[in-house]
Amino acid sequence: MQTTATGVERSSTPVRSSHRRIGSLEPWLYLLPGLLVFTAFMAIPTAGTIVLSLTDWNGISWNTALFVGLDNYTRALGSEQFRNAFINNLQLIPFFVLLPAVMGIIPATIAHQLTLRGGRWFQAGLFLPYIMPGVLIGVVWAWILNPIFGPVNRVLKQLGWVKPPVWLGDFTWALPTVGMIGAWAAYGFCYVVFLAGLKKIPTEQYEAARLDGAGFWQEFTAVTLPGLRGEIAVVLSINLINALRAFDVIKTTTDGGPGNETQVMALYMINSAFGSNQAGYGAAIAVLLSIITLVGSMLILRFAGDRDG
Amino acid sequence: MAKRLIAYTLLAIGVLVAVLPFVVTFLASLKTGPELAKGVFSLPDDAQWHNYRQAWVQGQFQRFFANSVIVAVGVVIPAVVLSTLTGYALARFRFRGSGLAFTYLLLGLVIPLQAMVVPLYYVLREIGMLDSLIGLILPQIAMSLSFGTLLMRQCFQTIPRDVMEASIVDGANSWQSLWQVMFPLGRPMVGTVGLMFFIWTWNEFMLPLVVNINPKYHTLPVGLMYFQDRWTANIPLIAAGATIIFLPLILMFLLFQRQLIDGLTQGAVKG
Repeated sequence: MQTTATGVERSSTPVRSSHRRIGSLEPWLYLLPGLLVFTAFMAIPTAGTIVLSLTDWNGISWNTALFVGLDNYTRALGSEQFRNAFINNLQLIPFFVLLPAVMGIIPATIAHQLTLRGGRWFQAGLFLPYIMPGVLIGVVWAWILNPIFGPVNRVLKQLGWVKPPVWLGDFTWALPTVGMIGAWAAYGFCYVVFLAGLKKIPTEQYEAARLDGAGFWQEFTAVTLPGLRGEIAVVLSINLINALRAFDVIKTTTDGGPGNETQVMALYMINSAFGSNQAGYGAAIAVLLSIITLVGSMLILRFAGDRDG
Repeated sequence: MAKRLIAYTLLAIGVLVAVLPFVVTFLASLKTGPELAKGVFSLPDDAQWHNYRQAWVQGQFQRFFANSVIVAVGVVIPAVVLSTLTGYALARFRFRGSGLAFTYLLLGLVIPLQAMVVPLYYVLREIGMLDSLIGLILPQIAMSLSFGTLLMRQCFQTIPRDVMEASIVDGANSWQSLWQVMFPLGRPMVGTVGLMFFIWTWNEFMLPLVVNINPKYHTLPVGLMYFQDRWTANIPLIAAGATIIFLPLILMFLLFQRQLIDGLTQGAVKG
């Protein structure tokens, strides 16, 4: 203890060198437990996905696994089912990505210009769906939209619509309905991110725009949108990831149906791997899903975010 | 003035649309079937609390709830401790390989569960952890570590070096200076990180769905899904089950609104 104290009096170097003496081992001792758990339950399974995707395996005993190269990938890309799932994911994009962004940016702009009273409560209310589990959202909306017990169709019938759609059970309506549920779950999140971003835009920019005689719309396109570039990039890429990975809500509302109308990649992956015991094929779909998601979010970040830095 | 009124109305509609499904669900959980058929917005004539008892006992929600709590605690505390250790190691020490270790631990930010769930199932099967709670806990600790390491490292880096060096002068070794000085100073971040871990764990669906077939080990989300399948027509009962899941979340939200919103808007970047 004394040596350290005197050491410090002279300079701070001895303190550092005493660390060096304990050895470069010390930080690794801190890292070790985390690295172990991470490796066992994150890194190994991730590497395993790639390995598994190159095999034909029924998932039962290891010695039945057969190396098949890229067969699973060619099979997936050629399969009607996978393409259908992929297209459904794409069709969810307008609902999961654009709609909530628009539904969030409008009230955020309004709230920002007003210096709202009770803003915290508006924010809390809007944000609420975002912290809820997808299963819960699915179960609640499945009831609300249920053609027999649900309040929505009951109201529509009272309003004189004799035969309203059966929403989640309807071949045409199921996918847009699932999409609307996704939009509902996300718009409060978009609102919060946008409002935080708006607060960072210097007020002088708005004043300057007003001096130039800009109206509400011009102000919006000339000041607000460019000022929110970073936030827009973040929101869009997160929403996109959610659209491409959609699982919980779909599993609990339609389970991919009716027919395969709301089948999505994640659901198809789980069903292939565990439902029909094709572990290798399921793993290949997992890899494809990850690549598609990564590429998609990188594209958005590049287009929307880059110039902002 | 009129402009203000329109703005407030618009915002109020936004909030209403977001919140109403939960209100309606809660109301439904206290009604009888026929009463519910008459209208969803009305208050129940006579609150049917027995719906909750039925969901809790016959619907097994007591078991799902207990499992969810065990898993949440079993994930959150170790994950916070491990993130503290890794974050501390990476913030405090300069050592060969630290950059590599950091990048490695951050991989989880871009790798979602979906990308590894298939082999994970077989890893758990090999070590005998299918149909168990520990089989849910360990992978979710691993899934939490990337975000935790990132935030805890950031947090420890913002604490001035002098503070830590002062504790070393007092004769503390690195372990003591972590728990006596750094950790207490980093408490707000620890809280945020812990809250994020809690929400993610409480809401996790795919992992327990795949890993645990035996209803004995279901957590609330999976339990609710099977419950819904079985009681399709008994809406008040399903609503009671749903309420059991979202009430703790709403409570949590009211208590820690600020940290939760901050954390989730940051944490959303997590893969």
